[in-house]
Amino acid sequence: MHLTIDGRVVDAVAGQTVLDAARAAGIYIPALCYHPKTGKAGRCRACVVEVDGLRGLKESCALPVKDGMVVHTATPKVMETRRMVVDLLLAEGHHNCISCQANSSCELQDMVYHLGVERPSFLIESEPTPQDLSSPGIMREADKCIHCGRCVEACQNGVVNEVLAFAYRGSHARVVCDDDLPMGDSTCVQCGECVQVCPVGALVLRQPREQKIRPHETTATRITCPYCGVGCQIDLHTRDNRYVFAMAHENQWERQPNKAMLCIKGRFGLDFVDSPDRLRTPLVRRDGELVEASWDEALDLVAERLKAAKEQHGADSIGFFTSAKVSNEENYALGRFARAVIGTNNIDHCARL
Amino acid sequence: MREELITTIESIAARYPDRRSALLPALHLVQRHNGGFVGSEDLAAVAELIGVPVSEAYGVQTYYSMFQRKPLGRYHLQVDTNIPAMLAGAQTIVAHLEKVLGIKVGETTPDGLFTLSTVECLASCGTCPVIQVNDRYFESMTPERTDALLASLRRGVMPDLPAPAHFGSTCNVLLARRGTPNAADIEVYLADGGYKALEKALGMTPEAVAAEVKASNVRGRGGAGFPAGVKWGFLARGTGKPTYLVCNADEGEPGTFKDRQIMEFDPHLLVEGMAISAYAIGANLAFIYIRGEFAWIADILERAIEQARAHGFLGTSIRGSGFALDIIVHLGAGAYVCGEETALIESLEGKRGNPRLKPPFPAVVGLYGSPTIVNNVETLASVPYIIEHGAAAFMRMGTANNFGPKIFGISGHVRRPGTYEYPLGTPLETLIEAAGGVVGELKAVIVGGLSVPILTAREAAGLALDYDSCLKRGTMLGSGGIMVMNETTSIPEVALRAIRFYAHESCGQCTPCRQGSHTVEKLLERIVSGLGTPADIDLVLQLCGRIKGSTLCPTGEAFAMPIEAMVTKFRAEFEALVS
Ligand SMILES: Cc1cc2nc3c(=O)[nH]c(=O)nc-3n(C[C@H](O)[C@H](O)[C@H](O)COP(=O)(O)O)c2cc1C
Ligand code: SF4
Ligand code: SF4
Ligand code: SF4
Ligand code: SF4
Ligand code: FES
Repeated sequence: MHLTIDGRVVDAVAGQTVLDAARAAGIYIPALCYHPKTGKAGRCRACVVEVDGLRGLKESCALPVKDGMVVHTATPKVMETRRMVVDLLLAEGHHNCISCQANSSCELQDMVYHLGVERPSFLIESEPTPQDLSSPGIMREADKCIHCGRCVEACQNGVVNEVLAFAYRGSHARVVCDDDLPMGDSTCVQCGECVQVCPVGALVLRQPREQKIRPHETTATRITCPYCGVGCQIDLHTRDNRYVFAMAHENQWERQPNKAMLCIKGRFGLDFVDSPDRLRTPLVRRDGELVEASWDEALDLVAERLKAAKEQHGADSIGFFTSAKVSNEENYALGRFARAVIGTNNIDHCARL
Repeated sequence: MREELITTIESIAARYPDRRSALLPALHLVQRHNGGFVGSEDLAAVAELIGVPVSEAYGVQTYYSMFQRKPLGRYHLQVDTNIPAMLAGAQTIVAHLEKVLGIKVGETTPDGLFTLSTVECLASCGTCPVIQVNDRYFESMTPERTDALLASLRRGVMPDLPAPAHFGSTCNVLLARRGTPNAADIEVYLADGGYKALEKALGMTPEAVAAEVKASNVRGRGGAGFPAGVKWGFLARGTGKPTYLVCNADEGEPGTFKDRQIMEFDPHLLVEGMAISAYAIGANLAFIYIRGEFAWIADILERAIEQARAHGFLGTSIRGSGFALDIIVHLGAGAYVCGEETALIESLEGKRGNPRLKPPFPAVVGLYGSPTIVNNVETLASVPYIIEHGAAAFMRMGTANNFGPKIFGISGHVRRPGTYEYPLGTPLETLIEAAGGVVGELKAVIVGGLSVPILTAREAAGLALDYDSCLKRGTMLGSGGIMVMNETTSIPEVALRAIRFYAHESCGQCTPCRQGSHTVEKLLERIVSGLGTPADIDLVLQLCGRIKGSTLCPTGEAFAMPIEAMVTKFRAEFEALVS
């Protein structure tokens, strides 16, 4: 089907929202509370549009497309409302992008930039609240929270750790851990999913913050998590070839094994890649000493010894252990190697140990 | 937690289609048995028992203003200071209490006997000032009556301090038995012809009953005036899910104290209306969601339901018809927004009272995801008359498109504030006259509860009190809560008190309402305290203009419209404060 957005005819499919269709066509509509993973929430009101034949403003994140719909994303009423939303969000928090960890990867900042807002229309004084640095991996800063609800939905119904919830109401409403505990004392398992979906700097990773590196300074490389067989897709953020932080890879998240979620190991445990203790070449024991060797040397040695063992003692004298940290394909390959090349069924897996 | 509490909570949970609904009842129960608060340990126990995460239980507990986390004094004195109370001099009572108790609002006396709080409208607008002590109301308070109250409480006795209320009826439908002794008793109700309409309805098809209600054009009395019969027609059919009927008895709109007249003094009228309506829409389970402060009225309703069951007007086969209906009375816990139908449904499901995005509307996806009809107490209480006497009789009252009787609650600067039943379309002057006339000179009036635009005396002249006429005058009939203000009233102060209410009650979900109400409150505070600038006045107007129509639920409009009207129509008063 087709709809017209700001005079442009765009394609859409049934089941899409106006926001989906606009985004697919490259038309920018700010949407602070909607996230594909957490769904529509209707909270921020940033995404409102006007539609011919419908009265008043409509939230595009919740409005299903209809063939022939005529949508306006930049009428005076829409722009006025967006401006108000920005003004109110800036007034309610303490935003200072200059020193914010989320600078350059913040959806509120993007919205302000797109609107061309130089400074908020008004100031309403409020007391700053302290940062929550009680947990090892995540920093919470309530003053930058825009109450979008993504983290709550993600924690309750995405990863189902059921730690985060909104408490209190009105302008006192805020996100709490359990019954308002510091995150480090709560039942939080530090999966970082809340950080993953937070549009602003209210939930940030401590690893990059402590290295004083912000998102725009890093290069993301898609990797498969080396920890377990799920095969989570990770964007490994590095600078100068060194690890900075990890986020779940979000592109086509629905098709990925981890649906753009991670656990504590993938989220925070990849810093080992830069460890000075890490083995960087194979080691071969010579005269009782482990010495560095090339892969060719090492593999030749292994092949030679396996062959010798098989000849002397038979194939069943050899056994293989593979690992939960490698992919299914790698496990399969080792199974084939044991059975077809060596000729033994002696193969097992560390997860059974 | 004590064993018997657990057993009681389990039996409450078993009554609901989803046990999570028992969260609010459980918190009420534990709080009552625990000296007035629920701390961390008990909250965790309740959460576990109901089967919700602690985080969500905490989110629910802190959403509702009646739930306490910490112990308070033995007697929690809660003075209503909302607009009708303010017009009736509630500040005098607050000041008096502060003086004699030697504490400020928010504090507890050193002996742990009294905690003093100010609260939002308690729906006692005709008998203000009102002090709620724990779960009892003490109305028409004066400093002298307050002293008598305190003296009795010091002796450990909740006193009886009757406060006669004014009422009157020209229609004799909704307030017909308001003055009859023991009208809450089913025998009295039956003797007056009660439950005849239900018997008649059961002899008709459900479709015929629904058609009669539709033909009467009865418009919803909760505020929006949407025709009840049309709403019933939106019900999703053939979903394979049960249909529910929910009676909205939240009565939180400041200036509104009409539904409690029916529930407290003629509960069987509501029960009968609900039974007929449930029959018409095919619901076998119905709920009365009643504001938490009305605990004693909930008891009256429970007793009426019990009696109706004993007489076969409720139960598994009502009067042998095969039609089954049970009614559950569900207490809210102090949250104005829970009067909004989708917030009410969330609250009834044991959640924070956050309104839902619409569509889908409750008639399609409502309580527990099932088709649900939410109607106001007064709407449902009108149904027995429509069925017994026919739509035509109903339509003989009122004006075209605005038929039937309506309870108007008048408060503020009138001699006999109270509830008066008149046909829709009755001139405002008639109502004011019934209420004994204005004390002093009429300056302004709000006719539909706090959430509608204020009218100047000139604008209000000759106003017919019905939905369409009010709309034509740029206001709304809303709930029919009329607040009368004389020349001594400061509109900027009314505006400030009004926005404080909305800022306190905003659910906090959406940006324009959460932060807009807070910002407008700060601006009006600045203006009223003399620290504001003319630019602040313009900013209030600009914000109100933009908030209207931009929020998730109608609450944004509910404050943006009245504040905008107060500032626009009485701008000179605001300007005088900033110059
Ligand atoms: C903020 C807000 C508060 C409301 N409070 C009440 C209330 O206390 N009682 C009520 O019956 N309706 C209230 N309503 C209206 C309900 O949403 C709903 O329209 C009504 O219960 C439908 O019943 P009716 O059609 O019989 O009027 C409120 C609406 C809003 C937006
Ligand atoms: S959260 Fe976003 S808008 Fe706020 S200070 Fe950080 S970067 Fe700026
Ligand atoms: S890190 Fe994971 S468990 Fe902890 S609060 Fe965030 S989403 Fe919930
Ligand atoms: S912490 Fe972030 S994700 Fe959570 S509500 Fe606030 S802004 Fe949204
Ligand atoms: S307008 Fe928004 S914040 Fe206000 S009560 Fe409705 S949903 Fe909640
Ligand atoms: S993205 Fe639509 S309301 Fe927030």
